Amino acid sequence: MLALIREYGTNKGEKIEMAQEKTPFQLSRRWDGYKRRSHRRIKKLAQILQAIRREPRGLIGTSIMAIILICALFAPWIAPCDPYEQDIVNRFAAPSLRHLLGTDYVGRDILSRLIYGARVAAVVSIGAVGIAVIVGTLLGAIAAYSGGAVDYMILLIFDVIRSFPSVILILVLAAIVGPSLLNIILILAFTSFPAYGRVARAQTLSVKEEEYAVAARSLGAKTGRILRSHIIPNILTPIIVLAGMDLAIMIMYESGLSFLGVGVQPPTASWGIMLRQGYTYIGTSPLMIVWPAILLATTMLGCSLFAESLRGALNPRERKAGG
Amino acid sequence: MDERLLRARDLTVEYSTCRGIARAVDNVSFDIREGEVLGLVGESGCGKTTLGLSVMRLLPRTGKVVQGEILFKGRNLLNLAERIMNKEIRGKEIAMIIQDPLHALNPVFKIGTQITDVLRFHKDRGLSPHGKGVQLRNGAAKMLEEVGIADPAERLTDYPFQFSGGMNQRAMIAMAFICNPALLIADEPTTALDVTIEAQILELLKGLVERYGASVLYITHDLGVISEISDRVAVMYAGNIVEYAATTPLFEDPRHPYTEALLRCLPGVETQGKRLGTIPGRVPELTKLPKGCKFHPRCPYVKEICKERPPRLLEMASGRSIACFRYER
Amino acid sequence: MLQYLVKRILWIIPTTVGVLLFLFSMTHLLPGDPASVLLGPRATPEMVEALNRRLSLDQPIHVQLGRYIWSVLHGDLNESVWSRCTVSSLIMRALPYTVILTISSMGLAAFLGIILGALAANYRKTLLDRLVTVFSLIAVSVPDFVAACLLLLVFAVALGWFPVIGAGEAGDTADQVHHLILPCLALVIGWFGYIARLVRDTTLEVLDSDYVKTSRSFGAPMRYIAYKYALKNAIIPVVAVIGLGVGKLLGGAVFVEMIFNRPGIGKVITNAVYARDLPVVQGGVLIAALLFILANLVADLSYACFDPRIRYE
Repeated sequence: MLALIREYGTNKGEKIEMAQEKTPFQLSRRWDGYKRRSHRRIKKLAQILQAIRREPRGLIGTSIMAIILICALFAPWIAPCDPYEQDIVNRFAAPSLRHLLGTDYVGRDILSRLIYGARVAAVVSIGAVGIAVIVGTLLGAIAAYSGGAVDYMILLIFDVIRSFPSVILILVLAAIVGPSLLNIILILAFTSFPAYGRVARAQTLSVKEEEYAVAARSLGAKTGRILRSHIIPNILTPIIVLAGMDLAIMIMYESGLSFLGVGVQPPTASWGIMLRQGYTYIGTSPLMIVWPAILLATTMLGCSLFAESLRGALNPRERKAGG
Repeated sequence: MDERLLRARDLTVEYSTCRGIARAVDNVSFDIREGEVLGLVGESGCGKTTLGLSVMRLLPRTGKVVQGEILFKGRNLLNLAERIMNKEIRGKEIAMIIQDPLHALNPVFKIGTQITDVLRFHKDRGLSPHGKGVQLRNGAAKMLEEVGIADPAERLTDYPFQFSGGMNQRAMIAMAFICNPALLIADEPTTALDVTIEAQILELLKGLVERYGASVLYITHDLGVISEISDRVAVMYAGNIVEYAATTPLFEDPRHPYTEALLRCLPGVETQGKRLGTIPGRVPELTKLPKGCKFHPRCPYVKEICKERPPRLLEMASGRSIACFRYER
Repeated sequence: MLQYLVKRILWIIPTTVGVLLFLFSMTHLLPGDPASVLLGPRATPEMVEALNRRLSLDQPIHVQLGRYIWSVLHGDLNESVWSRCTVSSLIMRALPYTVILTISSMGLAAFLGIILGALAANYRKTLLDRLVTVFSLIAVSVPDFVAACLLLLVFAVALGWFPVIGAGEAGDTADQVHHLILPCLALVIGWFGYIARLVRDTTLEVLDSDYVKTSRSFGAPMRYIAYKYALKNAIIPVVAVIGLGVGKLLGGAVFVEMIFNRPGIGKVITNAVYARDLPVVQGGVLIAALLFILANLVADLSYACFDPRIRYE
């Protein structure tokens, strides 16, 4: 299998294909089309990754995000200490070999708590953005495609939600439904799906009337197929870019909620909670607040850089040649 | 006595691109006499727009004039200070109109403001401070009327997006002629317009050029327009002028292989019913120019010497200049 | 222009109705009957009975909704559960502090952002440009509350230059300004980064545009282009995002007021959330939403003033 992947697209790969036994589906014409499209998609993905790598911004952003993701996934193996283990005798300790970043007000290792905090950040941001993208894009596309009363109602829903300053809405909703990880993800998704909805709607509206969509319709293509092959790919680019930038914002909101005490509850390690505890003891131990602050800012920076390089990679700008 | 208004000598312009240095204009020399219309024709990417921009010294950041001189009324434009270029040359002695007038005009300023601004840059001294605004506006309105815009006084307060393509181009022409320039550089002014509007604009230009006695450097890829408006023609290919002659002789009897091929591609009475001609091959990339004559890969008369050295633009007895080894004696 | 104005203002009405509906449904979505929910854990049966009558909570839903909207339009936002003050009085007392904070932060951030963004674009690729770019990038990545905490740490706790809490003595303007500086700076940092970036990108785009090339070809000196042409085209997107900025700043104000203990709307809402004082939460959020809607309206109208293309839709 690996050998096949390595020789993807070369003549050798095709020869190997010929040698093996084929199922009836593989012998059909749809298989050829499918293979060709997969070839193109993988090639395009490789091009995008290359473009990201070329700019220094992209490299820095991707590295930071990768580090955070690794921390999130492998926290139990990476963290030097147990994030919940208290050691009152050693509270507010300065950085040492055992506790690389010091300890907090009950003696817990700050570094380990930060690493475990990455878990919360990753889960919340990816979950919230994922749900918001799916719900928002669907609603926006439906609104644009249906038009009329449906469009009006959906647009109204978007605008009502957007009339509230995000933080305040999130705060109040969190207070009402109660703090839990799932609730936070749902609330954050609820607050941000209108943005995706509006983008999806605007893009669908413009693509719907594009010549190729009209041409496809006139050739008899069904609505579903048009939506799938023409509309969705064109919508995806701005949505993906928006989602990239949103990741950073979601992490910020989660920390903010935890900071105010209506987010994830202690003793769970979340950067927001660590910031809050650092704020309470700001006179005693400034390090308690500085480390989470640096990490949070760096993570958001990484996400923003990544999103920006993504935008650059997905929208190549044409340069005018001298005539 | 030198009645050449503009003389360009050995002009070379290069762009630095991510794929290397592109030589857009290669050792080009040409003249424009007073009251003459010189047509500069060639395919996209042959360097004609770059040539126009270099006369105005408006090359983008990536472009540079690496050698040559451009003498306008005896002064080398390439040596002038930027301040003097702005004050005395641009808009005043030499004016430029470009393609796609909708994007050439600032969308958030009124047309009237943009026209009076040109006056403000150059003819400010002659006006008294009292009622200056009114005088400027009157001047602008008068100019709009001359270019054929109805209700000029009302149109002054309109914005470019409210005008049609043709009207925008007329407004630009008004801005160009308002300070009575000696030379007009027109870079594909009608390419973005409908054919009927194109005809009107050409008529307008011809009338204004005659009335104001201006010379014109008319840049285009449209051979039909060139035949209609120019006195002399320079044909450009990949940065070189390959043929340089008076209009009628050029069209009746093209000498350079490229000019021949170009004219053959035009649909006409002779080609009716037959397949339209094409020129085999492609325009070379400016970063990877072939050795010797740049046209030789596509030339039906290619010889060994064409692959070794580039031909020079030499003047023939008939008064036209050709850059081709077939005619080099 | 008038047509655009009318259309824009009319759109506010269904949005506001939607907002009211949303807030109204808050009481009914929580478990338990609305009166107990509103009164909270200290409710006695008599209080429940009284509230039921007062708010006609035994009536069908649409009557309740109508009554709610009617009372809101008359400025009656109910009473706080804990104190006996009306919600309106609580909000009115806190509102000025938030408004001053928001306006000063927005003004300072826009002022600095426009100047530095324009300078960075006009002197592109110089040291100034690089500094501005890097600084804005970092500034945008630091959340408001983090910036507030760090400012608090450095300037109030460690250096002692600024007061840690409060909003200053009423009547003493200098003292109030002194108390305003750190909270304002905390909010300015994030928004300044955004604006500087926006202005720089837009100005660069303008400087490379065809119409600037045309102006130059007619002899416009670079200074004229930078100030008159480029500036106007570059300010337009800044005006467009004023609404967005107010939303962001109002949200940031919630944190900043908590951290610096400033008695503004943000603090009122958050404390009410902690105390489960639902009427105050409802009223506070309503006012915040109305402010936000108003800010967006102002932004859209100003944008139409600057960009004529919108007016002549």
